Amino acid sequence: MRFQDAARDGRAIVYARVQADPLVTRAAALLVDATLGERLLARAVMNGESTDPDAWRAMFPTLFGPETTQPTRDRAEAVLAVSLAVADRGDEVRSQFRGAIVEELTQRLLERRVGADAVRRERRILFDGMTSEIHPYDVTVERDPGAEAWDCKWGARGIAADVLHQLDDARRRAADEGARLRVGLVVFDARRSAVVRLARQTAPSRETRIVSLETLDQLGGSANTGRTG
Amino acid sequence: MRELPPDEALHTVLDRALTGYEALIDLAHTIDDEWQYVTDLAAVWRGRLTAVAASRTRDAAERPVQVAAERAIEEIGLITDPHRAIDWLSTFPQLILLAIGEEDRPPPRPSAG
Repeated sequence: MRFQDAARDGRAIVYARVQADPLVTRAAALLVDATLGERLLARAVMNGESTDPDAWRAMFPTLFGPETTQPTRDRAEAVLAVSLAVADRGDEVRSQFRGAIVEELTQRLLERRVGADAVRRERRILFDGMTSEIHPYDVTVERDPGAEAWDCKWGARGIAADVLHQLDDARRRAADEGARLRVGLVVFDARRSAVVRLARQTAPSRETRIVSLETLDQLGGSANTGRTG
Repeated sequence: MRELPPDEALHTVLDRALTGYEALIDLAHTIDDEWQYVTDLAAVWRGRLTAVAASRTRDAAERPVQVAAERAIEEIGLITDPHRAIDWLSTFPQLILLAIGEEDRPPPRPSAG
């Protein structure tokens, strides 16, 4: 088993510009240390219709209410501002930004656990005697032992048979070569919704780890951040 | 935002949220390919909100909770894109649960697959 950069086609070149946008970096930097409430705020605003910050402040009293502390409010204000900036990009572009933010967030969390040198983006996995997959994995951990391949989804609806097959095929082929490849999906959505989506999938998923909005910090090696709200 | 009644019970606020949620479900159901997913998702989240409403019948809705729910209902009322409605089938109940201080305990994954 070995890893390789994905081919740079037209789509990849355009998407690389989105991935490198400072807004993506800023959002991921805030979300990496965010609470569940702050992450839910980001998901709602980036997916929302309203552009009035007061409307969002009212919807999240645990983040902006009179009983919150100033540091809590400051953090929530920063998440709100960056999320509104993403929402302001328009429907098509915001969808690309959201995807890139989940990938960047995944990378940063994984780096906490395994170090920056081992984490890569947009990589294919090659196996002896096998035609390689066309689509690269969003984020990989490249170390031996302890290799990992992750795909990232904005919503539970993104969990589909092709993704589950690709991840499980890679895991099985690695095992055939005597290597262990941990595979998983990072879903920036409620675990309850991911479970609903998975329930009717017939593609293999037993060995595929699902990381949801509530369990993102496990990517970085901790059960939670210790912060609430 | 419309005038909100004083001393409102929490379950009344949740009932209103569930009514708003039904309209969101109807919009999401217009995506034929996702009919089953929308049906499953709506059933699970509707059940969760209904269970919370039934378990907190004695609780009053504090003013910030009333306002949060009303604003969230208004927000989903603005949605016209059914794909976005599907995303909000998950986000809206989470937002309501967070606002009322209700911790969500996600179910385990299905064992098959």
